[in-house]
Amino acid sequence: MRNAFSDALVKFALGDERVLLLTGDHGYALFDDFRQACPKQYINAGVAEQNMVGVAAGLAKSGFFPVVYGLSSFLPIRVLEQIKLDICYEQLKVLLIGDGAGVVYSSLGSSHQSTEDIAALRALPNISILSPADASEMTQCLNWTFNSDRPVYLRMGKADLGVIHETLPNLEPGKLYPVKPGTGNLGFLATGSMVKTALEVAQEWDNSGVWSVPFIKPLDVQQVREICQQYQAIVVMEEHSIYGGLGSAISEIASTYHPSWICRIGIEDRFSQFCGTYQYLMQEHRLDVASVKEKVRNFMSRL
Amino acid sequence: MKFQGNQLRQTVLRMAFAGSTVHIGCAFSIIEILAVLYRSYLNLGNGQPESPGRDYLILSKGHGVMAQYACMYELGWLTDKDIDNYFGDGTILKGLSDAHVPGLEVSSGSLGHGLSVGVGIALASKIKGTGQRCFALVGDGEINEGSIWEALLFASHFQLSNLLVIVDANGYQAMGTTQEVMNLGQIADKFQAFGFDCREVDGHDEKALYQVFQELLELSSSCPKAVIAHTVKGKGVSFMEDNNVWHYSRLNREIYAQAKAELEPQVYKDKLSL
Repeated sequence: MRNAFSDALVKFALGDERVLLLTGDHGYALFDDFRQACPKQYINAGVAEQNMVGVAAGLAKSGFFPVVYGLSSFLPIRVLEQIKLDICYEQLKVLLIGDGAGVVYSSLGSSHQSTEDIAALRALPNISILSPADASEMTQCLNWTFNSDRPVYLRMGKADLGVIHETLPNLEPGKLYPVKPGTGNLGFLATGSMVKTALEVAQEWDNSGVWSVPFIKPLDVQQVREICQQYQAIVVMEEHSIYGGLGSAISEIASTYHPSWICRIGIEDRFSQFCGTYQYLMQEHRLDVASVKEKVRNFMSRL
Repeated sequence: MKFQGNQLRQTVLRMAFAGSTVHIGCAFSIIEILAVLYRSYLNLGNGQPESPGRDYLILSKGHGVMAQYACMYELGWLTDKDIDNYFGDGTILKGLSDAHVPGLEVSSGSLGHGLSVGVGIALASKIKGTGQRCFALVGDGEINEGSIWEALLFASHFQLSNLLVIVDANGYQAMGTTQEVMNLGQIADKFQAFGFDCREVDGHDEKALYQVFQELLELSSSCPKAVIAHTVKGKGVSFMEDNNVWHYSRLNREIYAQAKAELEPQVYKDKLSL
């Protein structure tokens, strides 16, 4: 997925000199190809994220297309107000990349973990929020972004979980993508790193359906409504707080258009307590396959 | 001649009275700075807002926006109706700089934003080689913000010689003097230490402002430039000068009349010659 990201970025930058990559002194190996291919389009803005986002706004106002890269614990969280006022208010074409979303930096602690970025950004008008699950979603998300004229936040989480889609139709804004068809009782909607887990968890419930959600904002209301109508209950999974993320977004639509049982799986309003591998942290937050299965079983037993 | 100090201040008072609004002192301290920039330095292209190829005036201290409205009124970009309906329901001129208003370049007033956007604009013009200049006006209260110093570092590192930062050093911020609230020490020393070609000037002396801008813009160095303009908050109306109450106070009819009387051409002229 990270190669797909780098490849697409290099391709677009080579094809359009208005593309400028700004980084807050992050992305050491990730941008090797970019720096070699388009050194004049690479700007290291130093460890100064607030200014970097303001500079990106100024560049966008002057006709450039800035791609702003940071860790998702800093971009968007540290610079939320700059994103709101400098970029979203003027609806500038700026791509914000938040890398290491969720608990990817498992051993670095809470300063580098980000489970609130979607919630913080969802309330800002004019911005789209994307969360690709694999390389093909990443490529398509970037294709869509380069052709759009809006601010976009691309959430890059755990990136080495393998292929989700053998083939993926052209990405349309707001669409959910079926990964495993099923007409049983349960529909699983997952985003980013949790799509893989959703596929494994879903095996326990006969004929359940699994959908990947690369677009967290906007969401296709009609499609979500139809999915809610189709299943007895919906399980939403994300490596993000259960407050304000995809689970909330789906619940908001359901509560208005088709009241449904919705089981929200995510970080349960807590910081990480311990250090360890990514897999360990996912267990700590009960986001591993076994824990999620247990949560879904408990949820279903109450219906 | 356009952009006369007393005329601009009268327009500010007119708006402040019509809108029953605050921040008069913040606008009065930057009148001469804006007058000199609009009169002599800002290339406005075809003379309309947002003209391609224009120089940029970034009002990072958005609280002074009425001073910029007054200049836009003189340019014919705002009408008498805009001035007299200030803050009316459904109107677009807000109490802080807002980029949705043609002629204002940035949304500011949340402090420490405009300078970075201006730095991005200056960088864009450098990359494109258009020769456009960017004048960014910040307040001495505003430069409490860390993002300002991030922007100064960046401007210096990327050699944005087409950026000229003006500090409106009126010595006050919302809750008191800058010395009481957050002592800045020697602002010019700080800018110099950040790699700026920096000058200090009396921010109400138009001749001196003109000369200092000229001197800096003629420099061939690759450094960004800065002018520390020593100003008086509320300048131009005796009872508003150096009186921070006029950060917040609104005009009633009587006070409006008193203030306006001080800005009558003959009175104002006599005062200047004192």
